[in-house]
Amino acid sequence: MDFYEEEEYTESKFDFLVWKKIFGHMKPLKKHLIIGMSAAIGLAIIDTLYPLINKYAIDEMVETGSIDKLPFFIGFYVVVMFSIMILVYTFIMHAGQIQQKLSYILRKKAFKRLQELPFSYYDRTPVGWIMARMTSDSRRLSDILSWGLIDLSWGLLTMVGITIVVLVINWQLGLILIGMLPIIMLLSIYFRRRILRSYRHIRKENSKITGSFNEGITGAKTTKALVLEDRNFQDFDRLTSSMRRHSIRAAMFAGLYFPSILFVASIATGLIMYYAGYEASIYDKIAGIGITVGTLYVYINYVGQFFEPVMQLANILARFQQAQASGERIMDLIEQKPEIWDRPEVIEKYGDAINFKRENWEELKGEVEFNDVTFKYNKGETVLSNFNLKVKQGESIALVGHTGAGKSTIVNLICRFYEPTGGKIIIDGKDYKDRSLGWLHDNLGYVLQSPHLFSGTIMDNIRYGNTELSEYEVYKAAKLVEADDFIREFEDGYDTQVGEGGARLSVGQKQLVSFARALLANPKILILDEATSSVDTHTEKSIQRAIDTVLAGRTSFVIAHRLSTITSCDRILVLEDGKIIEQGNHKELIKLEGHYYKLYTNQFKSKAIEDSKNG
Amino acid sequence: MSIQKKKKVNRIHQFTKWLKGNTHLYFMAIILVIVLQYFRTLLPLFFQYIVNEVVGNIPSALPDFMRNLVQADTIKKQLILIALLYVAFALLRVILMFIRRVLIGVFAERVAYKMRNRLYEKLQNLSFSYHTHAETGDLIQRCTTDVETYRVFVAEQLIEIIRLIFLVTFSIIWMSRINVEMMFYSVMVTPVIFTAALVYFMKVKSVFKNVEEKEAKMTTTLQESVTGIRVVKAFAKEKYEIEKFDKHSKEYLKEDFKLLKLMAIFWSGTDFVIFVQYAVAITMGIVLASQGKIGVGEFPAFLMYIGMIVWPLRQLGRIVGDFGKTIVALDRLDEIDNKTSEHDNDSTNKPEIKGEVEFRNVGFQFEDDYQPLLKDISFKVKKGESIAIVGRTGSGKSTLINLMVRLLENQHGGIYFDGVNIKDINKKHLREHVGIIMQEPFLYSRTVYDNIGIMDKNASQEKVYQAASIASLHNKVYQAASIASLHNDIKKFERGYETIVGERGVTLSGGQKQRVAIARMLIHSKPVLIFDDSLSAVDTETDIQIRKALKDFWDNTTVFIITHRITTAMEADKIIVLDKGEVSEMGTHEELINKKGIYNELWEIQSNVEYDYDKINKGVK
Repeated sequence: MDFYEEEEYTESKFDFLVWKKIFGHMKPLKKHLIIGMSAAIGLAIIDTLYPLINKYAIDEMVETGSIDKLPFFIGFYVVVMFSIMILVYTFIMHAGQIQQKLSYILRKKAFKRLQELPFSYYDRTPVGWIMARMTSDSRRLSDILSWGLIDLSWGLLTMVGITIVVLVINWQLGLILIGMLPIIMLLSIYFRRRILRSYRHIRKENSKITGSFNEGITGAKTTKALVLEDRNFQDFDRLTSSMRRHSIRAAMFAGLYFPSILFVASIATGLIMYYAGYEASIYDKIAGIGITVGTLYVYINYVGQFFEPVMQLANILARFQQAQASGERIMDLIEQKPEIWDRPEVIEKYGDAINFKRENWEELKGEVEFNDVTFKYNKGETVLSNFNLKVKQGESIALVGHTGAGKSTIVNLICRFYEPTGGKIIIDGKDYKDRSLGWLHDNLGYVLQSPHLFSGTIMDNIRYGNTELSEYEVYKAAKLVEADDFIREFEDGYDTQVGEGGARLSVGQKQLVSFARALLANPKILILDEATSSVDTHTEKSIQRAIDTVLAGRTSFVIAHRLSTITSCDRILVLEDGKIIEQGNHKELIKLEGHYYKLYTNQFKSKAIEDSKNG
Repeated sequence: MSIQKKKKVNRIHQFTKWLKGNTHLYFMAIILVIVLQYFRTLLPLFFQYIVNEVVGNIPSALPDFMRNLVQADTIKKQLILIALLYVAFALLRVILMFIRRVLIGVFAERVAYKMRNRLYEKLQNLSFSYHTHAETGDLIQRCTTDVETYRVFVAEQLIEIIRLIFLVTFSIIWMSRINVEMMFYSVMVTPVIFTAALVYFMKVKSVFKNVEEKEAKMTTTLQESVTGIRVVKAFAKEKYEIEKFDKHSKEYLKEDFKLLKLMAIFWSGTDFVIFVQYAVAITMGIVLASQGKIGVGEFPAFLMYIGMIVWPLRQLGRIVGDFGKTIVALDRLDEIDNKTSEHDNDSTNKPEIKGEVEFRNVGFQFEDDYQPLLKDISFKVKKGESIAIVGRTGSGKSTLINLMVRLLENQHGGIYFDGVNIKDINKKHLREHVGIIMQEPFLYSRTVYDNIGIMDKNASQEKVYQAASIASLHNKVYQAASIASLHNDIKKFERGYETIVGERGVTLSGGQKQRVAIARMLIHSKPVLIFDDSLSAVDTETDIQIRKALKDFWDNTTVFIITHRITTAMEADKIIVLDKGEVSEMGTHEELINKKGIYNELWEIQSNVEYDYDKINKGVK
């Protein structure tokens, strides 16, 4: 599932526009940024000057052996200690809050957009992709904009600060230190980039291994039945071997990084030892030549202190590109335009899909009309052309035909999950685009072939459509679809947790629950999409009974492969290649002895039919 | 006492068993780590040497063998020598450091490799009933996160502990050689740092856990809302979902903020304590210097030693505080590793399976169930016969066929293939000859072609015959796909047979998956084939087509079909009706119709055909 986390990104240049957009979302966090950066600057100053305090102690007290200035020194030191503590606290609190709040803001905006986007978006966007954007990308981006940004200001300032201090104290020695800077910088950037790249590569391999484990576990039964254990193991071994090879190579490469930097620094230390050591040996305060032992100490100390900001900077720079790619993807999601959305004047009157203006809604009666409707999927394949259909209020319509005949498309169009690419769909005499999405969906009931439940209790799930309903009404609906029995058999009854995605229930049980859920929403238009394919014959029959009672007075559309479930529908449409080739009720169509007759008799086998024909 | 001791031994075994075969690398790395700490702690002595012996004339603590290397007659020459010596030592140190990193890298990856493979193999060989009870997410977590936890522990954390112990030890030794009293002041506060970190990271665990839980909740909400977007939209619950997500998102934010505050307090607090250590050492150093006990060469050396040890001590506290994690991870891994494989002690007998099947008083019950799933099942099937099994959900149909390939093991009675009890037939041999096609078949994330041809061993193994066998496999795959009415579907895919299936590729419909599963079984002919409601998601017409095509293929095959579709069942030579784990009716379609029992009831519910047809016909004529 984390396949999409390590998505490729082109090693693109700095993109000012993307960052401008992202900073636009950071406006509410300005305060944190300013305080955090100020704390970072304060810390950088202390870090720069701290060795000088020790130099003072060495030169003024240890060297001379006098303790006159000790109380003053301790007092000063305590002030520094408290400042450090307060600055570190401030630094962490504010950088952390930027990180947390920014990812909160990004997730919130992206989630809202996800709710607004139409089905066509979900058709072309895998769930894993969306999840990766909402989790790892938003984390990566907010990390670099909080800790990264503040560390960056600390690192830069510390570098500049140390550079100034070492040049001011003794510019010849200072030059030795500064001379090592570009080397360490270049090494760091080179290594960090390469390491990051190989790390990403390894993460990718790792996600393949995870996928393979997943396959090994979820496919265990099939693997056993097909006796594919050895073959699978060989494939798995190929993956892990490759992972081992690459990881070792990466570890060797990464293993070079710190030692090589350390070596550069050691050369600098050696040079300082020689030059500063000599200067210290000729120190003469009165003649003004040479340097003190304290200065010698300070320079050796600064060699070490130079590493961290430089390595830190290289790290942030290396991660920057990745963060930019993350930013691009999140912005892309947040700025995605919903293709199906109400016009401004419609929203003005009826509200949008999220905020309803119920007071202006007309009652939906359920008269549905397809007027010359043409529909093409994005891929360009035309599914319906000049399709016409009139459905009266309360009529039950069954859709029959092969896969690809257009059954699902018709249903999706009615739900306005897609919109016609040509022609109009008219509900209660008005183009449905003249009323809001919220108005239509609020009046819709929909039961899917693969039912989806949300984690929570069975109770929560049944009243998903209307959380205000009483428990009594929930029981009633469950009884109607004959789900009550199995629910009560659970230890916790209606309070049973269904698990993630309803995993603790069987497919058939999930279908019954989703059925009760649709009934409770009291829809004016009800759609059953293969709703009964996974329940056994007895249960199906009882659902059938429930449907018949509930359908009364509602417009309904039923898709079913098992024709026995639709014989009582008011009208059956037989579809082929997006066209209605036959329509009528069950009896009429049987009488016709056409396509439907063939389908139907096929299902119930010539035998019985032939027998009764002959008889 | 003895029990405790035993437990301890187990822990050691538990910890070391995964390292077997790689310990020599580990020991080499550890020795290098120790040597490196020795080198590292020499730097302050170089400083002391320069200040004392070159600039001044006081002896320093630099080891004699080194001191001998840098003797020269002028200060400049002496300084050049000492700088060169330092750089040379640095080079040696850097090389050793690189070697130790490579050693650890190789070691860690080998260990992880071994662990992953062992777990994978183990999981595949665990029994079917283990898998039905196991939670996939949890198992995957063990194989990935827990393996990683252990790998990080041995490769990084344990090494870090050893490194710090020796770093501190060498530092203390050198410091004592310079001045014992000052050494004491230099490490006086360090136990506080370590303890503070240790206690903090042990206490903060529960907060971490809360944050993780809240985050998981938020992610679940997100995932469910995205996968269930159809339901959300159809019920017009967008606003509700937005509010729900925002609620979980805020809860996570709140919990995460608590953690942040604790972190800020910890890091700033321990920073303060570290500076207290510095302050104590500096103050006492100045006092000792005023008494002439230490000089200007010693004081900075002590500051350097303090710098070396105080900062990592905080890290050490964290590692030790986190140690529990590794133990938990190891326990979880053992839960998989200590299970026995279903192939252990399996019969090696591989008799020819022709297709005659007999059940004699077969009974089955899950260990944790209080009532049997199957009771006293007996029937006999001749080679080449077809048998339909019908019954309600939960009547035991799937259990019955799982017993036939020993995915489950019957406790009572016996199942016989051509007179041989299946307990005396090697499992893999049995499964190779008894094909089973499931209702929700699993497809591997490979191409459609590979999925259909997956059972063909020759294609991948014997190179000599490769060309020929690939050609014949091609034909077989296309033929199988045609029989399963799949060929046209596949042709419609953009990449045809090369289309990748599953998470990373095209999601097939339930019916398409079932048809792939059927095609896959047709690559080799088998004496016995079992269809576990494996056409349930295929539309009626296609269903009929497939069954017609299969008939020509079946011929000599014994076929078992579980089905909800009575029209499928009625074609079988024999129909078995299961009810509550027992055979309630058995016979041909006509016999069972006449019996007016469960089967007849099913028939009437599903058909109504005669009734309908009669009525309609009467109307017409």
